[in-house]
Amino acid sequence: MGFRKLASVFAGATMLMSPGLSLADETCQSPYMPKITGEEEFVYVWTLGKEGIGDESDKLVTVDVRKGSDTYGKVVASLSVGGRNEAHHAGFSADRRFLWAGGLDTNKIFVFDVHSDPGKPILTKTIDTFVKDTGGAVGPHTFYGLPGRMMISALSNDKDHGGRTALVEYSDEGEFIATHWMPTAEDPRGAKIASDVVDGYGYDVRALIRKNVMLSSSFTGWSNYMMDFGQMLEDGEAMKRFGQTVVQWDLHSRQPKKVMHVPGAPLEIRFAWGPENNYAFTTAALTSKLWLIHADDNNEWHAKEVADIGDPASIPLPVDISISADDSRLWINTFMDGKTRLFDISDPYAPKQIYEKVIGDQVNMVSQSWDGKRVYFTSSLLAQWDKKGDADDQYLKAYDWDGKDLKLQFELDFYKEGLGRAHIMRFGSSKLFGS
Amino acid sequence: MSISRLISLALPFFLCLCFAVPTVRADNWAVRVLERSMTGSLGLPVPTHPVENRPTADKIRLGRKIFFDRRLSLNRTMSCGMCHIPEQGFGNHELQKAVGFEGRSLRRNAPTLVNAAFYETLFWDGRETGFETQFISPLLAANEMANPSAGQVVALIEELSDYDGAFEQAFGQPVSLHRIGEVLAAYQRSLIAANSPFDRWRFGGDTNAISEQQQRGYQLFTGKAGCSQCHQIGETSALFTDNAYHDTGYGWMREHERQNPPSHHPVEVAPGVVFHVSRKQIDDVSGPSLPDLGRYEVTQNPADSWKYRTPILRNVALTAPYMHDGGFAKLRDVLDFYNRGGASHDQQSPLIRPLGLTEAELQDLEAFLQALTSADFAELAREARVEEPDNW
Ligand code: HEC
Ligand code: HEC
Repeated sequence: MGFRKLASVFAGATMLMSPGLSLADETCQSPYMPKITGEEEFVYVWTLGKEGIGDESDKLVTVDVRKGSDTYGKVVASLSVGGRNEAHHAGFSADRRFLWAGGLDTNKIFVFDVHSDPGKPILTKTIDTFVKDTGGAVGPHTFYGLPGRMMISALSNDKDHGGRTALVEYSDEGEFIATHWMPTAEDPRGAKIASDVVDGYGYDVRALIRKNVMLSSSFTGWSNYMMDFGQMLEDGEAMKRFGQTVVQWDLHSRQPKKVMHVPGAPLEIRFAWGPENNYAFTTAALTSKLWLIHADDNNEWHAKEVADIGDPASIPLPVDISISADDSRLWINTFMDGKTRLFDISDPYAPKQIYEKVIGDQVNMVSQSWDGKRVYFTSSLLAQWDKKGDADDQYLKAYDWDGKDLKLQFELDFYKEGLGRAHIMRFGSSKLFGS
Repeated sequence: MSISRLISLALPFFLCLCFAVPTVRADNWAVRVLERSMTGSLGLPVPTHPVENRPTADKIRLGRKIFFDRRLSLNRTMSCGMCHIPEQGFGNHELQKAVGFEGRSLRRNAPTLVNAAFYETLFWDGRETGFETQFISPLLAANEMANPSAGQVVALIEELSDYDGAFEQAFGQPVSLHRIGEVLAAYQRSLIAANSPFDRWRFGGDTNAISEQQQRGYQLFTGKAGCSQCHQIGETSALFTDNAYHDTGYGWMREHERQNPPSHHPVEVAPGVVFHVSRKQIDDVSGPSLPDLGRYEVTQNPADSWKYRTPILRNVALTAPYMHDGGFAKLRDVLDFYNRGGASHDQQSPLIRPLGLTEAELQDLEAFLQALTSADFAELAREARVEEPDNW
């Protein structure tokens, strides 16, 4: 990266960190992004098409969540993109005007305009050259908005559909910029290997601007995330191919600095918000452990296991997590038992579960409002990992949280509505754009 | 995880990175490969090519390109090479059973294609007669590449500009389904790797090419253990197959397990961390598991139930996991199965019986199987990567 590019990234960072802009609507977004200060108006649900349901296509579903609106709790828009792409994660550009949504199977990226009419997103661009552009990265996963560009973590590669993969950057205009391959044993790319384990796998990517730190986590390759979950559990070879690392990167130079050992497939990464809180949480899906990734007084980053999530031996499978704006609470969903669990993380080294509730037969994603009073859940993990038969309920459920209990406000059955499998949620509001 | 284990996990990717440094020159590799395809390799007979499909360098070059072209599937993500991965022995080390289009399950392990030219029939059950026609089934199978029709694939290749003139150059004729089969066949028949330490010892007159332990293993393989009754070794060459079908008891055993699954299954969730997961929990997230009756599915003759074609054992140390469903992770697991006498069910081949091999003998036998690894094997992977796989 040239000096000019670096300088412009840095200028953007400083600008967005200025006071008054430091609130977010939901608590897990890129800190570079403009924020909703009031209530969210819409929830966008990136939904997987399913054979035999509606038009079978992947779609962006817009749900009205304006309390008092005639269409509150109803689907107000549904935009089919064609095909089953293994719709998974989505993220806004740093200016929050566009939502980028990826397909883990077909490697397509759909860019939606969410500012012209926040209640009715428009598909403005489809990037279908991701694998070719990147030189072989497969499975665009996290879309993390940086000023002027999108940082994308991939999950796999086009040579063997295994877990070796890369971070990839595109400009906001959708032009490919760079591929940063994950450090491996043969090519650590200058990173320190903290405890002998390095796998080159990828999953989430998040940044802590004031520390110039970016973290990536590690899941598994296409063969595993696409395959029948039950078959995989019985396939001893496949089970050996899960990520065991969290990588610390230099945010500005994109250089990997350190590979930390976090076994059991560490997935979502959530940095704390407090200006003194130099840490992030991640959960290891297979071993059901909560991990703290933290800086010590010398600015050295470490990974520490800090709590069990449920009974690990029963493989509850922690999936999405959501940190509260004051860094005191962490929602953790466990897919297998369909529960959400609330942890008190005021002492990040000793989190304690303080609440749990069954949301459905299966639960995957959780998103909360900035004030923590509204919490939304969806059901789908991956097309071939979701439960089979009757237990495959697909929904969006909206709750109010009063500090003690979750109270259901509305639920949408995504099969009855002819939509598909409900995956990631992102919040929208017309207030963001001065209308 | 130990360092050596890490390195072995990492090795395939290391090979991947090699093709950035072109050790195999893109222009002349196919000429060299053609020669191998015509002359064979020490320990193997000269490969036979159908008179109507003589190999040429142009055909081999084009066959390789098509084999790795990910665009030739309904959603542009699957090629032959995504299941038959060069760095993983032209099979897949990371899966017992193959996974195809949209993650759909296959019943069987993707076998190595190296030396498959020496089979008289193709697939574990021998249902296919040759490479020239075999490719149609993966191209069209809904759980493999899922193309809507064979004609669409031909039309797609016609449209893709990087194929402009290629079939004309190879055949003096445009692309057709038949010619796609011919170039894929020419490429796959060039995947030959023998000249192993065993070959140099047995056929090359090099008495020191294999160790004493490996020689003892050879004596067991051809003697007490009775392996070569099916995995045959000839006077001037060794195919390690009789090109026939046998019920080793293995298929029957797996089908019995499928119908009577254990109440818990050990799942290693991270190195050294094993949880015993209940059947109910697995079933909740499982699609239907399908039976596999082997050769019976081709002949409908009950006497052929659970018979599979004897696999060639060359380079077997590089092609884990083993058996038609990839159900054995290590060679030692296979040897233990044979030593037990298979599954001892009624229809099992009389050639499979308790062997009474001692621990030392089992080690000798395994050492012998290690001697079947060809030094040229890695070269096949490098050739396969002369160019990046095609993507949309
Ligand atoms: C989805 C994974 C997958 C794809 C894609 C795939 N194969 Fe295979 N292949 C397999 C499996 C599994 C088997 C064994 C199937 C059986 O025996 O029933 C196999 C068997 C074969 C065999 C027989 C080998 C033997 O020992 O008899 C050949 C030849 C072959 N494949 C070639 C190809 C070609 C050519 C293509 C592309 C046109 C292709 N395969 C695409 C998984 C795949
Ligand atoms: C009756 C014939 C027969 C005999 C005797 C026999 N095998 Fe096999 N072998 C087979 C068949 C058939 C298969 C495939 C079985 C399946 O996949 O279900 C096989 C599979 C194997 C495999 C797995 C290869 C792969 O690529 O997956 C190995 C290794 C093997 N045999 C080694 C041996 C050894 C060592 C012996 C002697 C102890 C032996 N075999 C004796 C017929 C035989």
